[in-house]
Amino acid sequence: MESRDPTAHLFLLFAVAALWIGAFFGVIGAWQHVVPGVIDVVPFVKSRPLHVSLVIAWIFMAAVGGIYHYLPETVGVPLHSPALVRAHLAIFLVTGLLVVGAYFTGRFGGREYWEFPPVLAIPIVIGWLLFTWNFFRTALRRRTPWPAYLWMWATGIVFFLFAYLESNLWLLQQPDDNVVRDLTVQWKSYGALTGSWNMLVYGTAMVVMERITGDTAPARSKSAFLLYSLGLTNLLFGWAHHIYPVPSASWLRILAYVVSMTEWIVLARIIHQWRRSVEASLFHTRSFSYRFLFASEVWVVLNLTLALLISIPAVNLFTHGTHITVAHAMGSTIGINTTILFASIAYIIGDPVALGADARARSLGFWLLNGSLVVFWACLIGAGLVKGWLTVMTDLPFETIMNRARPFIAGFATSGIGILLGLTLLGMQVSRHLLLRVLGAGGREREEWT
Amino acid sequence: MFTASTPALQSLRNSDSGGHSERIRWRATRHRRAIVAVLVLLFVVQTVLTWTTSTAVPTERGGLSQQARRGRQWYQEFNCTACHQFYGLGGYMGPDLTNVTRAKGKGPEYTKAFILHGTARMPNLGVDKSQADDLVAYLDAMAASGTYPIRAANLTPYGTYKEMIPDGE
Ligand code: HEC
Repeated sequence: MESRDPTAHLFLLFAVAALWIGAFFGVIGAWQHVVPGVIDVVPFVKSRPLHVSLVIAWIFMAAVGGIYHYLPETVGVPLHSPALVRAHLAIFLVTGLLVVGAYFTGRFGGREYWEFPPVLAIPIVIGWLLFTWNFFRTALRRRTPWPAYLWMWATGIVFFLFAYLESNLWLLQQPDDNVVRDLTVQWKSYGALTGSWNMLVYGTAMVVMERITGDTAPARSKSAFLLYSLGLTNLLFGWAHHIYPVPSASWLRILAYVVSMTEWIVLARIIHQWRRSVEASLFHTRSFSYRFLFASEVWVVLNLTLALLISIPAVNLFTHGTHITVAHAMGSTIGINTTILFASIAYIIGDPVALGADARARSLGFWLLNGSLVVFWACLIGAGLVKGWLTVMTDLPFETIMNRARPFIAGFATSGIGILLGLTLLGMQVSRHLLLRVLGAGGREREEWT
Repeated sequence: MFTASTPALQSLRNSDSGGHSERIRWRATRHRRAIVAVLVLLFVVQTVLTWTTSTAVPTERGGLSQQARRGRQWYQEFNCTACHQFYGLGGYMGPDLTNVTRAKGKGPEYTKAFILHGTARMPNLGVDKSQADDLVAYLDAMAASGTYPIRAANLTPYGTYKEMIPDGE
């Protein structure tokens, strides 16, 4: 029942390409912080949105491609419409090219994270509607109750649509335009946007885990659903921790504070089960995919701890508007999301059977990525601590503060190169396998799942 | 954030996993649908409240004139947010701009000079004079809405902030 249609693999292939190009512009942008004015062909106003949009495209395409791939097997029926998958991919690619073209030629107009001209939001929404339609037409044919990951995917899909539309709400002129409400609504939508892709990615992790271990019980357990509801609650009501300093109504901040703190439960639970996780990872050493899942779990612990700390307003006072926020964002999008998505791709291309020949290069890529990310993450936290402390406690001018943080920024930019190299090794490996599959030469299909 | 991906989960088998009749599992599903429905409903309420009453700042102070609205548009067209923040939100290459038009030793003229000419660190983005005036009007609307950064004294013992009505500097 696994999809033989190569379109899902094409999604993954283009996703990996977007990741590599996006990471490349990320390295350029990081170095532009260290040496101002360097690499003038792509100035920072362009390199930053290129980086952000392309890596977000990676997360979405890799998650969506995976869902198209896993869904038929999960539900037990073929995809409602393979033609719509191809249409979705075509729309996504054309829009992506237009976005990149707009950035290169300096045509902006949107807001942070979606800085392209807002008219390009239209094809993005249309493509997503095709995906939504296809997903629900397929998933609702399932005769038995949904495992947690179907709930998660469904949630991610619906909330992306809502949050994306909400993040474009500013296009409608409001009679009493107010900058505070404007910022509040914008960040409300961003909270749900990241929450929605996390739902897609964590659902994917759960499926991959189920497939590797062959154990279908966890995704159907009460506690999986409990964790899902906790995640959903945070997606819906926790977003205002991003905007504690914005003078919006206090109830929003208090609500976000209380809701955010419920995540200690998740953290405590992971730590409580830590030994079992380690034992399981030793059992599955042959699976490359599993290795990524285990790494993502380590990153969950690190990032969740950081997120919980900076969601406490008294701590947030010092960390808001500093590189600690970036550390959290990078830790989550690279350490957790990217790692899980690589686990998924590794699984799809035939892990662990394919582990043989190029295992060394893959291992090197894995360790380069994760090792560099540790340094990267720590440097951002260091830079953030310097900036946050000096901004709140002194009246030093901006430039002086940034000069004090410079050594950390240099460490961050340097380790960024390590991340790019790691991604290059991994990207080359998986794209070769994906390409083989797209071209129909994928003989090492995992038959036991079909 | 939410994680349920991990081996930790494998060990969790409980009542509704296997061994139970279809009917019980569907009843669990109904409960689940109800929980999700309640959460979504609360979210709708929150959304309406956020859109309508989320501001602590009266409109006169956070409101945008026609000129300031144009300024907001330029702010997006020139992608100032790549380098600058309001209330700490945005890119970190340049300083936070929340209060620049009203800060001690700065002000509208100072602001306009940066926008028109750039510096060694801030590029000259080719903003023309009338666009710069619009941008200053937008930045000034932002400055009127509040103060950033907040100083430590504004905390309650629970770790939340006290009311943040700006003192107007
Ligand atoms: C490539 C990054 C970048 C972009 C894009 C950018 N700036 Fe700047 N801006 C800076 C940096 C860096 C400084 C600090 C410059 C210095 O002190 O020499 C700065 C300083 C300023 C200042 C002075 C702030 C103060 O408190 O002293 C203002 C005002 C300003 N920018 C407005 C804007 C506006 C408006 C835009 C969009 C039209 C913009 N900038 C786009 C990087 C940028």
